[in-house]
Amino acid sequence: MATVNNYLDNTYDDPDHRAPLVLGGMTYTTVTETVVAPWETDKPPRVWYLLFATAVCLLMMLGACIMHLLLKGVGVWGNSNPTYWAFPIVNFVFWVGIGHAGTLISAILFLFRQNWRTSINRAAEAMTIFAVICAGMFPGIHIGRVWAFYWLFPVPTEHLAMWPNFRSPLLWDVFAVGTYATVSLLFWYMGMVPDIATFRDRSKTKTKKLIYGLLSLGWTGSARNWHRYEIAYTILAALATPLVLSVHTIVSFDFAVSQVPGWHTTIFPPYFVAGAIFSGFAMVVTLLVPARAIYGLQNLITLRHLENMNKIIMATGMMVGTAYGIEFFIAWYSGVPWEGFAFYNRAFGNYWWAYWIMVSCNVIIPQLFWFKWCRTTPWFMVIVCIFVNIGMWFERFVITVTSLCRDFLPSSWAYFYPTSIDIMMLVGSFGLFMTLFLLFCRFLPIIAMSEVKGVIPLEEH
Amino acid sequence: MHQTRPAKITSPIFSLKDGYVRTIPLALIVGAAGVGASLFFSLTDLRRFYYIYLVNFCFLLSIVVGCLFFVTIAHLTRAGWSVTVRRIAEFYAACITPLFILFLPILIPVLMNSDVVYPWVHGGWSQHDKTEAAAIAGLPLAERPPIEVMKAAYLNPYFFGIRIVAYFLIWSAMAWFYLKTSLKQDVTGDKKLTLRMHAFSAPGMILFAAVLVFSSFDIEMTLSPLWFSTMFPVYFFAGAALSAWCTITLTASWLQQTGRVTDEITTNHYHDLGKMMFGYGIFWGYIAFSQFLLIWYANIPEETFWYNQRINQDGWRGFSILLVAGHLFIPFFAIMGRTARRNRKFLSAAAVFILCMHWVDHYWLIMPEYDSVKNTFTFNPLVDLPCTVGMIAVFIAFFCLVARDRPLVPLRDPRLGQSLNHVVH
Amino acid sequence: MSHNQNQTSKLVGLLAEFDDPDSLVQACDQARQYGYKVMDAYSPFPVHGIDPAIGIRRTKLPFIVLSVALCAVCLGLGMQWYTNKYDASPIFPGYAFKISGKPYFSLPANIPVTFEVIVLSSAFATFFGMWLLNQLPRLSNPLHRMERFKRATNDKFFLLIETGDAKFDRSRTASQLQQWGAVVVEECRQDLTDIKLPSWLKLGGVLLAVLLLLPPVMIYRAMGMTNRHPRLHFMPDMDWQHKFKAQRMSPAMAEGSYLFADLRSARAPVAGSVAWGHLDTDGEMYRGIKKDWKPKVTATANVGPSVSTSTSSQDAVAASQEPAEKVTPPPVVEEDLTKYVTEFPEGVEVNAELLARGQRRFEIYCSVCHGYAGNGDGLVNARAVALNATGQATWTTAKSLHDPIVKDAEKNPLGRIFETISLGRNTMGPYKDQIPVADRWAIVAYVKSLQETGIKPLMVVDPAATDAPAVDAAPGQTGD
Repeated sequence: MATVNNYLDNTYDDPDHRAPLVLGGMTYTTVTETVVAPWETDKPPRVWYLLFATAVCLLMMLGACIMHLLLKGVGVWGNSNPTYWAFPIVNFVFWVGIGHAGTLISAILFLFRQNWRTSINRAAEAMTIFAVICAGMFPGIHIGRVWAFYWLFPVPTEHLAMWPNFRSPLLWDVFAVGTYATVSLLFWYMGMVPDIATFRDRSKTKTKKLIYGLLSLGWTGSARNWHRYEIAYTILAALATPLVLSVHTIVSFDFAVSQVPGWHTTIFPPYFVAGAIFSGFAMVVTLLVPARAIYGLQNLITLRHLENMNKIIMATGMMVGTAYGIEFFIAWYSGVPWEGFAFYNRAFGNYWWAYWIMVSCNVIIPQLFWFKWCRTTPWFMVIVCIFVNIGMWFERFVITVTSLCRDFLPSSWAYFYPTSIDIMMLVGSFGLFMTLFLLFCRFLPIIAMSEVKGVIPLEEH
Repeated sequence: MHQTRPAKITSPIFSLKDGYVRTIPLALIVGAAGVGASLFFSLTDLRRFYYIYLVNFCFLLSIVVGCLFFVTIAHLTRAGWSVTVRRIAEFYAACITPLFILFLPILIPVLMNSDVVYPWVHGGWSQHDKTEAAAIAGLPLAERPPIEVMKAAYLNPYFFGIRIVAYFLIWSAMAWFYLKTSLKQDVTGDKKLTLRMHAFSAPGMILFAAVLVFSSFDIEMTLSPLWFSTMFPVYFFAGAALSAWCTITLTASWLQQTGRVTDEITTNHYHDLGKMMFGYGIFWGYIAFSQFLLIWYANIPEETFWYNQRINQDGWRGFSILLVAGHLFIPFFAIMGRTARRNRKFLSAAAVFILCMHWVDHYWLIMPEYDSVKNTFTFNPLVDLPCTVGMIAVFIAFFCLVARDRPLVPLRDPRLGQSLNHVVH
Repeated sequence: MSHNQNQTSKLVGLLAEFDDPDSLVQACDQARQYGYKVMDAYSPFPVHGIDPAIGIRRTKLPFIVLSVALCAVCLGLGMQWYTNKYDASPIFPGYAFKISGKPYFSLPANIPVTFEVIVLSSAFATFFGMWLLNQLPRLSNPLHRMERFKRATNDKFFLLIETGDAKFDRSRTASQLQQWGAVVVEECRQDLTDIKLPSWLKLGGVLLAVLLLLPPVMIYRAMGMTNRHPRLHFMPDMDWQHKFKAQRMSPAMAEGSYLFADLRSARAPVAGSVAWGHLDTDGEMYRGIKKDWKPKVTATANVGPSVSTSTSSQDAVAASQEPAEKVTPPPVVEEDLTKYVTEFPEGVEVNAELLARGQRRFEIYCSVCHGYAGNGDGLVNARAVALNATGQATWTTAKSLHDPIVKDAEKNPLGRIFETISLGRNTMGPYKDQIPVADRWAIVAYVKSLQETGIKPLMVVDPAATDAPAVDAAPGQTGD
């Protein structure tokens, strides 16, 4: 085993040797103790209760809004002619994007052997699942007749002879998001089984023994099992990597296959994917900084982890910024007057404020991460990351609403106003997300113990 | 548990030694003969020569740019495994400077106001274009000037010349910064040099991306001045990065075949290079498909004509199918397995195949524009093949010129030990 | 195999505990070199280098996944081809419909879903394949009954050499394990009394599975059944929406209050409005009426209903120019025959091509009643006459086109034949909506040529000999 390092700061950059990923001289035993502690305790910290109560209140508000929507119809939203797509799709794309960071951390960084992922991947994957649930909800309730949702799938019906239209990008979305949710769940659960087995072996009550016993599927940690498990994990990672690209690509197809100026541009697929990773990482940082403080995980989720995430945020933020630039250049270069107008209208039209919020939050504010202090100071990075998430929400808002509210028929031009239900549902979706995440923190292993233990003796790659 | 190799070069030969002295004149002779033969066969149609020349130039440029990306990303991510193959990429990246000389035959006609290569040099292209699509795109609204007048602010010979010179200056500065610093470290072993390269890599990547975007627009996309696609730089990049992985693999394999750096580049490095070839091959497919799908689906005339020519014209259709099969599917299945990636000879063969397909990719991007005037498919191997062989030979001469007897691996990089002990599980 | 003296439990193997992964790997190495085969190591995380140490061969999982992925390609493409292209299947047929100008089966648009199907299937294959190959989930494992083993998922490393190994020997193996660095060596025993699943659990599981099947089966059955009760409306205001529909009564805005006094949802078009593409100013071509003909003033405004129920504006224009069509048998007394064109209108060129076209249309639309030769002996007519004879139907026989009156160019000018085809006459129905204008003129030309050549009937149908099923002859299908 390598020498145990007791650095408090592991963010230095020394090419001679890799900085440690686990601090405080932790051993296998202490890793287990640290991760299990929030679950073993009978009394979660008071702040957990506080957050949970808030989250459940917001969730109930969301539930009430959905009931109202189902009883009254989609007219309770601000969607109108010509802005047929508004908050629901904006929220959908926003949440799907958030989800991407989890898969990126667990799959892509895994394939690139970035060992620092081990401390953060579990929480990020959980976040993926919950974000996808929030995302899936919006198109789910947007279909109008919610009880006929199964028409989205190719269900054989004897009398109707009716099938989905596989040439429609909206149906691709059903398959993409459905596959993504399923595969993320499998990936998350599979990664969690060894840790659930730890929980099982430490369970004191009969109920816990039963539940965690069933969930751990009889895992023993046998070398033969580990061998197949690791290969399966690699295959799933290799599958999840193109999958995560495909999901936001297909979401971008929803817009880009159309002929709406401002939507139909070929860079949309990679640009959406970069934006998704950007917002997702910002959300991971926003969640993990308080979580590590509350549960005392500073030695596992170290400053280096946070700094690395902030670097990725900065990099993807600049990719998004580049895409904004290319779009503007080509809108001019193409010489297509409608494209030119669409982009002029974005920046200087009636939604100029939304556009400039987007640019400031997504392109300008992340530039602060060039300064080391900014990317290694937890409270400060949370502020930046919250701005990033605001910016990314506005990006989807700008794309959706500015292009639609100025469509080809000037007589139908209108200004889109969200209704209170729109706003309450957006806020409420955070309640759903937070509720699930807080439950996860309480009842499941937040950090992938088995993976962290694997990198204790190693240095960062 | 881990067997640790000392961070030392153990190969008896770790530079080209005298090889480059012999190779350079030979390669230059082959190059001159090839290009000369091509020129001879195209005397009646000089335009053909210019186009196939541009195809080969873009092919070589993409390799060089891809290698520059490799070096930059290696520093940006503090990569340890790739140290022993990084020098090869540094050499290739530094070839950007002599490559500028190869661009002069294209640039000078443009500056002399000849539209032999780029149709936008002269006016009138937005009117006489063959497709109805183009006519629609070029149709001025009441107060708008014709599209070519509007685009002339960007597409004019002098601005083009200034941009090209700027691109090559920036690329050269980056490439030579990395190569010089890395070579200096061979002597001093100073790890501060590594830190300096790390520090430069982040702004360097931004610079690289900005130049890549506009250079790909300028050099390849404006051949069809009516057509536009925001994805084009990404498409160019995907091909460039892929060809860089292949070229590095191939070069490393060739060096080892000739008894150089035999100990430093291991099966594990080939395994990782193979993974990269595999991954970037899929990435290329993803980008190519996305660009195609969006244009095909929306079916807007001002974009579709470009694909229409490449897919619906008999000869070009064959090339399109060849690209889908050869650029994506065949390599996908060939290097999917672990065994294939760990076999140096097999991986080199795959790299040659992918590079051929990458050449076809540029041929497919550029040559239909040569045909677009007559709206036909023409294939002239007497012009195309000698030029290709000749330019690749010249490129090999460039590599030897840059590499000379310089070390083929960074001798005292602080991460050399990590790279030598790299194991893929 | 060493059996144990205790009857309630049996020895599974010897479990050795180690403190760190390196000593575990070394112990495994030595055990393998000694010749042990039936053994396994347990660790809280995957220990690298242990696979060769205990002789694990690479799993076949990647090949399983690859084969599933290749099948998924076919599945994904097949599903889309079947549902969106192939509609000839008798059961659960697909539904081919054109949308956004794309072919039914359009490969580029089908790639995304195919890709997702591949990924989903491969992920399932990976996930379930891995558990299957690992023989998990397993409900009972003697290792889990060992208190010490609980730390295998925490911070300790174990090696189990099983009794099934040929070289296993209780005491020798134990001392070897000690020698190879084990901290503790302990027996792993399997309790024989409760290794079986209780039978009530099995029975309950089967029952539950059967019960769970019931709801979907009942739903499926209900889908194919008729019911005396009207179906449930969960959201009545979505089923009967409060909205304006064209040409309908408007819904009440409030109690007793409507948008317009006449309760319509929209205003009737201004008199003389013509729908897009229906101006049809060329009366000779579209109606067979002479250009310079003016209707007599005597025509009453309250004309009988047009045979055509179409509300198109073409009729609105036509109605003001044409005399009333009387539906009831007493023939029109004052029919103005001068209004009809006697020559083919401009644009209709009578040639062999037109006649051939006319023949085809005639045989499709007219011959069923009028017969192939125009003798009024079509199959429908023949059947109806037979039914007439038995009193099962009332039927006005189809006219022979060779009838002197029909043949008479004075009494039946070209324009009148055209009008008959278009609007029907007496009990013959209109064919305006079925046959395009040019084809109607082609039929006129063919009818005239038929009358000129006077072809004799080609086949004689004996009504009594026909054994066709009763034809429900609609009046619209019969001739005059």
